[in-house]
Amino acid sequence: MLRECGGRKPKPTPLGAPEGREPRMGERQISSLGSILADGRVWKLKDASAAPARPVWSTGYGSLDARLPGGGWPTASLIEVLLDDTGLGEVQLFLPALAECQRRMEQGRTDAPWLVWIAPPHEPYAPALAQQGIELDRLLVVRPDSATEALWAAEQALGSGVCAAVFLWLKGTDDRWLRRLKLAAEAGGALGVLFRPERHRFESSPASLRLLMTQGEHATHLDLLKVQGGRPGPVDLGDP
Amino acid sequence: MKSHAAKSQAAKSQAAKSQAAKSQAAKSQAAKSQTAKSRTADLFSPPRSWKAGGVPPRPQTGGQVRSKQLWYAAVFPQLTEPESAAVLQRLCMHAQQFTSFVSIEAPNALLLEIKGSLKLFGPPEALHASLDACWRRLELPAHSATAPSTLAALWLARGGPPPAAPPVIEDLGALAGRMAELPIACTAWDMAHLQTLRAMGVTLMGELLRLPRAGLARRLGPAAVQELDIALARQPAPRRAFVPRERFRERCDFDTEVEHAAYLEKAAEPLIVRCARFLRERQAGVQKLHLKLRHRTQAATAVHLGLASITSEHRRLMDVLTQKLTRLELSAPVRGMELISGSLQPLSAASLDAFAAAAGGGGRDTAPQLVERLRARLGEKAVYGVALIPEHRPEAAWRRVHELRPALAACVGGHAADRGAGMLRPVWLLEVPLPLASGLWLEQGPERIESGWWDGKGVARDYYIARRISGARQSDGAKLWVFQERQSKHWYLHGMFA
Repeated sequence: MLRECGGRKPKPTPLGAPEGREPRMGERQISSLGSILADGRVWKLKDASAAPARPVWSTGYGSLDARLPGGGWPTASLIEVLLDDTGLGEVQLFLPALAECQRRMEQGRTDAPWLVWIAPPHEPYAPALAQQGIELDRLLVVRPDSATEALWAAEQALGSGVCAAVFLWLKGTDDRWLRRLKLAAEAGGALGVLFRPERHRFESSPASLRLLMTQGEHATHLDLLKVQGGRPGPVDLGDP
Repeated sequence: MKSHAAKSQAAKSQAAKSQAAKSQAAKSQAAKSQTAKSRTADLFSPPRSWKAGGVPPRPQTGGQVRSKQLWYAAVFPQLTEPESAAVLQRLCMHAQQFTSFVSIEAPNALLLEIKGSLKLFGPPEALHASLDACWRRLELPAHSATAPSTLAALWLARGGPPPAAPPVIEDLGALAGRMAELPIACTAWDMAHLQTLRAMGVTLMGELLRLPRAGLARRLGPAAVQELDIALARQPAPRRAFVPRERFRERCDFDTEVEHAAYLEKAAEPLIVRCARFLRERQAGVQKLHLKLRHRTQAATAVHLGLASITSEHRRLMDVLTQKLTRLELSAPVRGMELISGSLQPLSAASLDAFAAAAGGGGRDTAPQLVERLRARLGEKAVYGVALIPEHRPEAAWRRVHELRPALAACVGGHAADRGAGMLRPVWLLEVPLPLASGLWLEQGPERIESGWWDGKGVARDYYIARRISGARQSDGAKLWVFQERQSKHWYLHGMFA
């Protein structure tokens, strides 16, 4: 049993106090080590190979799955994708996982979860998405007027608990907003994907996964800039 | 034999002649009476029973004749025209605890059909008494009567407080007798008619009923005679049943003027709470709400709240209102507000979820809730879905959907299966194809799409999946969806594989 988890001084426990009694009003909550480690905010570096508490979605690329902790896209977290040009297959990275997730959730339960695309650079083309197996009636496109509105919409969608994934295309934003998005994603259990230009590469980011996509000679290069619980480095994307 | 035949022929011709003469006479007679009858005969026809037998119906002597309907009328002499409408509507609500059929008789009376309620509420006398007690509890003076026809009940009630117990007439045979004692003013016909009757020396209903129908119709118009028939239950008189108002409308006035929109939210909350209760009681929901903010001099500011699905949930209504009010710029201080609901729609069972609050820990939203919150802040047009259209032209194969319905799923799913076979489609589609100048590395294709000649937007294109060639490198840049116009041989960019 871990008696204290904050920086504050421990309050002496009365000697005769029974072990399993109910905590009274005003008494500090005693938490076990297990519950602290289960908290999504605690980052366990050594234990990266173990499967995280949250489910993961297979990316559809074997080589990428192998590099991600748990073997897929982490849910209930924020992923940042840095790229300068659209059309590098950045959406394609996530589509198989989303289609699979919608299909699985629909079989298991009543409703497939929603996908929300906020401020996409072009019109999402319905036939392409249908071809990939995305449920179109569960896709919501949001076109806000400003970046702040876009971030607000993303926070609402991530925290709502009805979305499987929220994609957000942004030119730039500050760290504080990203932190809010991350918290909303954790609260709502949704996967937040933020597409940003490459120039934000050297800024700090609370995202649990940061990817850099560049166009190489023959194919798209994918570079893992930051992997929570894994090793960063380039990934060779084979055929899915 | 022959002579017999001749005789019969002669008889026939004679008969024909006499018939012709008869018909001619009848015709001339008809023509004569036409002028007199035409005014009334077409408009006013005697009841069918008279027509068939040619004689008025004989009163049935063996026991009472019970009618199919029994009407209770209540007249409230204190109510006057302008405000009586609202009061009568509220009284209807009271009356509806006894019968589902209540009709408002302007200016100050109610009519209730109580035959259907007798099984539940006992004999007519008892029901009549409990209805009277209802008005007494409201401290509203009322005269009432129960009769087998609408107008008889109404006229008897208008006749004022009777000497003894209020009249409850169940017997059709006794109806005319009881009505005979009423003054003609009970009919509430206009003064000109009543003056005419008084000039004729008619002051009581009994005298009026004894007058010949045709003459009465000529003097007072066919409507008056028709009303007499209705009162004597010889003709049916359909009434419009009162349906409780189908809208929530409530206002509240502020003691002081409110200048900040943020304060309005607090003030609107009780209205929303009452609206939600109003909806819940009726098993109904709304998809639209209007909030009117009244100013001292300016015209009222209207705030429209749209909901993604029909709802009666207090939390969802409040959520949308909060979003709208926080974005609102007040042009002038607000003195009061009024909340008006859109038309009520039956709440489907699907939108009720008893465990929604428990499962989501109270803080989780539903999809419509998310959509309407986004719409309330970003605008109706900014949030939409996409759907497929079975069409070969790429730009026409999809559309935006603003109505979010799960019913769409079936047809969309069907198309998705068909689409799997063809060439891959790009995730992004450009709204207008861009002309391409630089070199391309064609990876896949062509896919010929030639369609739409019938609506003037025909296309004839060869589509390829390509990569742009730039500089020394062979293939560089994004994966593109390009096409060549078959007529002009020009190249265009139409989409990107993101």
